[in-house]
Amino acid sequence: MKSFQEIILELQSFWSREGCAVVQPYDLEKGAGTFNPATFFGALTAVPARFAYVEPSRRPADGRYGDNPNRLGKYYQFQVILKPVPSGITDLYQKSLKAIGLDPKQHDLRWIEDDWESPTLGASGVGWEVWLDGMEITQFTYFQQMGSMPLLPVSVEITYGLERIAMHLQKKDSVYDLEYGGGLTYGDLHKSQEREFSRYHFETADTALLSRHFNEWEAEGGRLTALADPLPAYDCVVRISHLFNTLEARGAISVTERAQYVTRVRNLARKVMQLYIEKNAPKAVEAA
Amino acid sequence: MSLKKKKSPLEAMAFSDGQIPYEAGRKKASSPPRKAPARDFLLDVHTEPLPARFVAPVLEQLRTGAAKWLEGKAPHGEISVSGTLRHLIVTVKSVSPKGHDKSEKFKGPKEQAWKLPDGKFTPAAEGFARKYGLCAADLKPEDGILYAEVHSKGEASSALLQAMILDLLKSLQFPKSMTWEPSGFKFGRPIRALTCLLGDKVVAVELAGVKSGRAVYGHPVLAKAPTVLKDPSKHSAVLRQGLVIIDPAERREYLLKALELTTKKTGGRTEDDAELIDETVFMVEHPVPILSKLREEHMKLPAALLKLVMKKQLKFFPVMARDGSLLPYFVGVRDGLSCGNALVREGYQRVLEARFNDAAFFLGRDAASTLESKLPLLERVMYQKALGSISQKAARVESLVSWMGSHLRHTAPIDERAASSAARLVYADLVTDVVREFPELQGQMGGVYARNDGLDERVALAIEQFYFPVAAKTPIPATPEAAVVSLAGKLDSLSGCFAAGLIPTGSSDPYALRRQALGVVRILLEKQLPLDLEQALEEAVKLQPVVVPGPGKLSAQLADFVWGRAQSLFEEMGYASDEVRSIREGALKDLPNAFRRLAAVRAVRREPAFESLAASFKRAANILRQAKSENSEPPDRALLQDEADFDLYDALVGAEGAANDRIVRGDFEGGLKSLVAVKPFLDLFFEKVMVMVEDESLKRQRLALLGKLARAFKRVADLSEIQS
Repeated sequence: MKSFQEIILELQSFWSREGCAVVQPYDLEKGAGTFNPATFFGALTAVPARFAYVEPSRRPADGRYGDNPNRLGKYYQFQVILKPVPSGITDLYQKSLKAIGLDPKQHDLRWIEDDWESPTLGASGVGWEVWLDGMEITQFTYFQQMGSMPLLPVSVEITYGLERIAMHLQKKDSVYDLEYGGGLTYGDLHKSQEREFSRYHFETADTALLSRHFNEWEAEGGRLTALADPLPAYDCVVRISHLFNTLEARGAISVTERAQYVTRVRNLARKVMQLYIEKNAPKAVEAA
Repeated sequence: MSLKKKKSPLEAMAFSDGQIPYEAGRKKASSPPRKAPARDFLLDVHTEPLPARFVAPVLEQLRTGAAKWLEGKAPHGEISVSGTLRHLIVTVKSVSPKGHDKSEKFKGPKEQAWKLPDGKFTPAAEGFARKYGLCAADLKPEDGILYAEVHSKGEASSALLQAMILDLLKSLQFPKSMTWEPSGFKFGRPIRALTCLLGDKVVAVELAGVKSGRAVYGHPVLAKAPTVLKDPSKHSAVLRQGLVIIDPAERREYLLKALELTTKKTGGRTEDDAELIDETVFMVEHPVPILSKLREEHMKLPAALLKLVMKKQLKFFPVMARDGSLLPYFVGVRDGLSCGNALVREGYQRVLEARFNDAAFFLGRDAASTLESKLPLLERVMYQKALGSISQKAARVESLVSWMGSHLRHTAPIDERAASSAARLVYADLVTDVVREFPELQGQMGGVYARNDGLDERVALAIEQFYFPVAAKTPIPATPEAAVVSLAGKLDSLSGCFAAGLIPTGSSDPYALRRQALGVVRILLEKQLPLDLEQALEEAVKLQPVVVPGPGKLSAQLADFVWGRAQSLFEEMGYASDEVRSIREGALKDLPNAFRRLAAVRAVRREPAFESLAASFKRAANILRQAKSENSEPPDRALLQDEADFDLYDALVGAEGAANDRIVRGDFEGGLKSLVAVKPFLDLFFEKVMVMVEDESLKRQRLALLGKLARAFKRVADLSEIQS
């Protein structure tokens, strides 16, 4: 039986063998692996991309004080981004499951329609949730748009839900009982985090400070795009996106304000994307 | 199982050379093509998993698309389609090796303009002929016009089919399509392989970076190597060995049988949910049901909640006893084989239990406080920008319920206190955790919480059934109180949305107003409520927080909208559209009565005299319309003149009396039959006298007589609407 860390190691070596660069998590709080620049910028231009990485993902509103065995305010995604999409990618994915000890022949593997959309990134994709014996273990997406622009070539993003896969493999009913590795359980490492961060996100976060920071990082992002450096400007997008998530979990955003916040994040993200494309895509005019 | 044999794909396809003359076909390829036999065509588009809901509609497009494309192009036999989430398959039997020869005629201008007097052709004529590969002398005159006639031999079928495949696949409409490879081709999901065969030959096409071939791909997990197919005849057998049942009807039958067998020992059977069955048929290629148990502790959760979690969240089939109650079992349908079933069952149970634990947790939290105590939270839930919060909507529904209660007090009294308590609480479950998680359970959960709060059963039931009917054929609220509260909710939504300009268009009806209007009609009809809908709509419009420039006009527009639903419901029941139109007047003032009037028209229409009566009646109505006579004063017998006038007058008075006796008893058929008795007198009247005479007084009296006749009939129906 594989420990949590062994599952990660297996996935890393599988995708490394498939020619992916195994990059590291990006060092900012974020809601999903898609925010890692390897994917965000990786999907944007025609430059080939093959990356795999673990990404800690924070969803403040999903925290349950460590009480719910299936819900976490912070968890890990294992993410693969491939462009161009290799043919037979779904078979390759099945092989990766086998590598971590899930033989598709012994299980019920289903591909359930599930399209993905990120309003804050103006991004959308088409794909599936992959169900293993009824449990959603992976989100499989062909990106179609980013910054509301069609993407061609298309990238495929595979997001493994590591905790769910581990619970299935280890036959555990609670995420906190997972064997992490090094003689520790997932609970040993994460339970107090869950408890304290739930308190922070739902009860004690200083909303005035958070919304001030939102405004300031948004302004900083705008200033940086004017200076034509998309990478530091992108950090501002990631920051305000997480600040927005925290404010929302804290109940500090009304329905009408919510739409305005989403628009503000999206506008900055779009500016950064356009800037990045201008700087990095082969220039049609020069080529001609 | 052939899958497990270690054979190379080429060996695996060593079929007996049976039905299709493979060798013969080859020999004949060198002889004139005219003699080549007809061959079967196969197209198998192998894709990554298509969403279940895409497949059946796309197969239908393929069937009609192929038939339309081939029509007139090449002789062929039967066209059939089949498929799964990973295969879209078209077969065409006996395609002739060559398409139809074609003769086409192209029209040139007139002969004089083309022919010079010396009999030679103008250069323009030569040019026209050249366009079609002819000389001017080949042009054929016909009625003074020259035509170019072009004959072409039929194209080889393989070339035609190449074009057909590309046209068909490019024309398919998916609910949502995607791109995945550099050409930017759009399809429901990525295409992995194209198997295209005409007899033993590959029909070569390339689409989205995929070249057609003869390889066939079985189940992605269970089938090993692709099989190389020699010709179309073995295609479905090969896929069957690869654990794919390609025919949806066969797959359904297989699934239903397997479900029955699996549940036998439970003494119950899986719920007959057409939607889930359809979905499952297109979610698996080879269905294998697995029976699993529910935990006793979870059986305490509301059955609706259990079923919803099983069906909607996990696509599991609940198992029901004969009396419709839930048994502690469920069936998950896996795709493929039963190896590792114990493991899969364990997985199914674990995932379901996790969902049930979540649901139980929410339920416990919701039930910890009363519905009453949740009401203040509704102030913060927006219903619609212009129409305010849910709390405001609830207040409007409550006022409307109380208006309806007093309106019905003498005709169909209800327990007004119970109805008004229910109206107050009807939206409270919208702020519960369970409903936030499962919006489909709105209402049903409200009923659960109301009983938990110890409320009167009449109140709980009205809350539970507030959103009834949820679909065209599902039940309406059971009690009069529940019916009235449900009506009020719907009338408020209808008038609110119309007042805010959110009027449904042909394709878009985001607030499901058509369904709600149909709900109103069904409730009134099935509960026999004599509610004046026109007044109720006016009342509902008045309560809206929107300033409406012409409230009267808006109410009329709403009435027309609701009438539209009633009309289509009646037509669905088999009433002719002219019959339905004939009862439009006053129908919404009392819909159950309108329905009885409709039935009367239908019954009396069978009488021999009816058609000609309708014609005479139409004549009377036309005269009244042309005279613009809206005068409803009764005719004065003394001022009439001819015998025909008096006869009609007397017959009408008699018939009206007889009809009235019946109509007040609700016997509209008898009433209408009594009125039909005036027919000979009306005919005589039209034969003997003129209505539009010079004598103003007499004209007025005759118009008044016809007006009386029209009014008498309109108590049942406006016969001028009836088409002969």
